Amino acid sequence: MSNWILYGLRRGILTTRYPQRSGAMPAGYRGAVTALNAPLEEQRAGIAACLSGALQEGSPAARVDALRCYQCGECVRRAPTAFAISPAFEVARLRRRAASFGRSVHVRHVDAGSDGSEEQELQAIFNPFYDANRLGIFLTATPRHADVLIVTGVVTHPMVDPLRRAYDAMPHPKSVIALGTSACSGGIFADSPDVAGPVDTIVPVDVYIPGMPPTPLSILHGLAVALGRAVPAGGAIP
Amino acid sequence: MRGAREVAQRVLSRVRDGARLAWIFGDRVGDRTVLRYVVSDEGGLEEHPGNVLGPVPSLAAELPAALWHECEARDRFGILFEDLPESRPLVDVRPAEELRRAESPEVSTVLYGPIRSGIVESARWIVETAGEDFISVHPSMFFKRRELEHRFTGVPLDLAAHVAEHASGATASSHAAAFSKAAEAALRLEVPERARATRAVLVEFERIHQHLDSLAKLADDGSLSVGSSQTFAAKERIHRLLAEATGNRFARGVITVGGTRFDAMSRLADVCGAQLDRLEAEVLAVLEALFSTQSLLDRLIGTGRLAREVVIAYGAVGPVARGSGVSCDARLRDGYLYTPMAGEESLESQGDAVSRALVRRAEIVRSFRSIRNALDGAFAGEHLAPARIEDGCGIARVESPQGELLYFVRFDGGIARVALRSASYANWPLFVPSLPGNIFTDFSFIEHSFGLSQAEVDR
Repeated sequence: MSNWILYGLRRGILTTRYPQRSGAMPAGYRGAVTALNAPLEEQRAGIAACLSGALQEGSPAARVDALRCYQCGECVRRAPTAFAISPAFEVARLRRRAASFGRSVHVRHVDAGSDGSEEQELQAIFNPFYDANRLGIFLTATPRHADVLIVTGVVTHPMVDPLRRAYDAMPHPKSVIALGTSACSGGIFADSPDVAGPVDTIVPVDVYIPGMPPTPLSILHGLAVALGRAVPAGGAIP
Repeated sequence: MRGAREVAQRVLSRVRDGARLAWIFGDRVGDRTVLRYVVSDEGGLEEHPGNVLGPVPSLAAELPAALWHECEARDRFGILFEDLPESRPLVDVRPAEELRRAESPEVSTVLYGPIRSGIVESARWIVETAGEDFISVHPSMFFKRRELEHRFTGVPLDLAAHVAEHASGATASSHAAAFSKAAEAALRLEVPERARATRAVLVEFERIHQHLDSLAKLADDGSLSVGSSQTFAAKERIHRLLAEATGNRFARGVITVGGTRFDAMSRLADVCGAQLDRLEAEVLAVLEALFSTQSLLDRLIGTGRLAREVVIAYGAVGPVARGSGVSCDARLRDGYLYTPMAGEESLESQGDAVSRALVRRAEIVRSFRSIRNALDGAFAGEHLAPARIEDGCGIARVESPQGELLYFVRFDGGIARVALRSASYANWPLFVPSLPGNIFTDFSFIEHSFGLSQAEVDR
């Protein structure tokens, strides 16, 4: 018979203090791509290697659509003078202003066509290393109790109606988070006729958390942005 | 090429002689429609292509393993199968109003899904129930179909493994490795030993984190919150190690056709050298605690039992097959990623949820040993062999955490067709025969004891 209380106590406190204190990903983590000042011909090899069309030629530097980037690192490997990648994880962007909720929010998740890893990273924010409950964030099984809807995946045709119905079933005020590059922009399926499109073509999105999948710290940051407790990356989306 | 009718008969007799029907899928070569049958036996994989000239006899009546494959070939390629015992399309996403079918007043039809409670992938079951008992359960799935196989067309060879990783992000290394192996088989490309060892390490780490995921969810089903949290914490440690060693928590963007995209082995060796002992001790400690919690084991014993004959008839793979005593481990055969893998195949005989959990525990232990073997090999040399497209096709498999994962690649100028058969696709149909005798609240235990990924089923 195992004693789980002792087991937990022996491991001590694992939980991060983020977002009250700063967090960090390891040095080599492929978080966010930035464009460096470089002539067009040096940009091209990197741009051509991007399957999701996240990169466009520009002067003095290429333009990076962070919501399309799936962090493969090909552009940096092929055009190291034009692109760089950093372990940044605070990548969530805000479209409108943050909704005003109290100290505690209930979150409902809907998978609209994910690759399965977004769910595992969302699950991870409740593990002892991140413990989202300490921030007043709780999961709920019904849209009727939900303040925040988190949607993963590019929306497939059959998921359009179920997603709309889940959104409509939520009370006001409500906030929607697109979690993962596929949800934010479609990612490599952005131009595919086989899917309906990114989440914001079906329901209004307030916060975008890109990443393939976003790391749990990115998800905590995105939730904090949605609740008005953290500063979004890159300013508001027009 | 032979006619598909003749090939179907030949495949049927191969299976009657003891081979396993692994896959049937359609392909369009020029203006011809081709049906490709894949069987597996001791000697490895055999592909039997057949020209479709008219209706093809269905194998599903005798081999339940053929059912989903034949339905999909019918729906996608318009191939007619004689006496196919299922007229509904495989992608069954009709609205609820069209699906209520229970006629007796005691029986009600419950549509479970596609959105369910908790953090789960979207899938739906049509459940007919009279109170607590299951009367019938019919999977009505593929809400998440993204037509991933189409997305490969025209993609440059050196980028295509990124697309494969999108099939199932949680098992990205298995998908990238299986796709790459199929392409390498088509191009007759020799992969450097250093790259093969790297792939083996990544796939074994993937097996550990996915098995922990399945066990953590089972603990949660059994209301063992601390056990579940601590198992998820052990899983988190694997992701942190992978992030440090490869730049991504699921080791995405490492494996490619011809080897690996960068020399991940040296960094893996450094990080593992510093952390692997402690990590392994943590994982083994949580397993020890889980498997000595009798209240959890009691809930798993006898739940979702699958007889050995059923597992064989449905062509199941992975821990689902091994839990019922059926040997099926691609790591033992066809020059796996890097041989030798450590230890014996883990088999259990009871076929219930606890047997599948025990298989996972034994595999985690074995995966750590395999990782050490691959790291200790200290293979020198290149991490990537240059690849150039030549026309032809190849098929290959990798033992993913869920079981045997198959990829087919055909080149015709560029990538002309990629098809994949995931372990989850092979195993989902067994969910139905695992249910009789169980009650409604066993559903999630059985589901998590299967440990499947919906994304790789729907793709």
